[in-house]
Amino acid sequence: MTNGLVLAILGAALAALLAGIGSAKGVGLVGEAAAGVVSVDPSKFSKVLILELLPGTQGLYGLLTAILMLSRVGVIGGSPAELTMAQGWSFFIAALPIAVVGLISAVFQGKTAAAGVGITAKKPEHNGKGIIMAAMVETYAILALLVSILLTYNISI
Amino acid sequence: MSTTKYANAVAAIRAMENSLLSRNDLDQLIASATKTERDNIVASKRGSGAEELTLEGVWETIRAYAPDCRELEILLYRNDFHNLKAALKSMMAGKEPQGYYIRPTNLDLDVLYPALSAKEYGELPEYIRGTASEAYELLTRTLDGQLADSLVDTACMKAMQAAADRSGSDFMKRYAQLTTVCADIKTAYRCCRMKKQKAFIETAICGSGELDKDSLVRASLGGTEGLFSCLESTSFGDAAKLLAESPAAFEKWCDDVIMELAETARMQAFGSEPLAAYYIAAEAELKNLRIISVCKESGTDRETITERMRKLYV
Repeated sequence: MTNGLVLAILGAALAALLAGIGSAKGVGLVGEAAAGVVSVDPSKFSKVLILELLPGTQGLYGLLTAILMLSRVGVIGGSPAELTMAQGWSFFIAALPIAVVGLISAVFQGKTAAAGVGITAKKPEHNGKGIIMAAMVETYAILALLVSILLTYNISI
Repeated sequence: MSTTKYANAVAAIRAMENSLLSRNDLDQLIASATKTERDNIVASKRGSGAEELTLEGVWETIRAYAPDCRELEILLYRNDFHNLKAALKSMMAGKEPQGYYIRPTNLDLDVLYPALSAKEYGELPEYIRGTASEAYELLTRTLDGQLADSLVDTACMKAMQAAADRSGSDFMKRYAQLTTVCADIKTAYRCCRMKKQKAFIETAICGSGELDKDSLVRASLGGTEGLFSCLESTSFGDAAKLLAESPAAFEKWCDDVIMELAETARMQAFGSEPLAAYYIAAEAELKNLRIISVCKESGTDRETITERMRKLYV
């Protein structure tokens, strides 16, 4: 195993790790808020559940990036590539957009969605507005995912 | 503490706010003819099987949901210091104090009276300890209940301001300031009417960043006209005009100004402020219900009742 390959694996791990941490924080925060509403009015469970799911996507994006990266360098498939340091750093850098943006956007999306739970609690008919506001944060996680995937597939091995 | 720690509590409180009375509900209550009709309106708003709204119940709910109640305890300081006065006077009169206590309170009411009787002030919370000892000494030395009351009231305002400053919460600081301003203006007005001496006024007025103690004391010595002209030069000119018009109108202004502060928390998704606002809203709602009930029984006309209604949170 070359040092370049180690860097690529580290990048893949970071993508899953940081985005996953962000999602866990985000979903946890919305879960707390949602539990507060459901404890008073259990009929609102389905409405707050959608909001709770939203910050969970960054973790999935991180996982997806990690799998694509590991597949690209041959770790998944059993024939790891002999990567140079430059190639290894390229994979590592390719993982950064979704790792960093995933972490931050999931936390902020969690806060927005938790605030949206407040809308659902007071005015359930305006639940959709809370979902849209939280979904806006998702845009930046999607852009980061796109960049990470484009970089991963355009590194020549 | 991170404000997001209150996410669960705030969301629950937002759901509970739906059962608070709206302007429309109040109009219906004012238009109602009988007590049964009023009870039905309130019951339909609360939902079937819901418990009656009480401040004790609201406080218990807030305590159950909030991860940290320390800064919210300031909301109960007035009750705590009232309970101290009740215990002191009961002790002097040789009566049982239980019937005079106000709940909710931060104090352990089973401990308060025995602690005062045994002069074991260490049993009481720190913020009230010194006042309890001082008020006991003053009351036993002078037997002047009014003076002891004013000492306790002033100490209450000071304790609120100190606790609010310690909490670092702008909401609580403003709450303590506004409560002090209202209490100080009321006290100054009463002192004018009763032609109290400077020494008494100095004990009774607390002072705050909003309203300077010395100028208020000086103004109070000049009679009600002097007081009103002093207040008109401050940001409480409107309050002075209302006080000159009628003390009841000023009382309403005091409640409304606190409610305006509570309204600032309506848009907040996190933090302890929405919890404090809910408590203030419940207080205002109970006051409105009491006013409606008393006015209806005394045959007051609808317009007068509407005028007396406090601002609502929802």
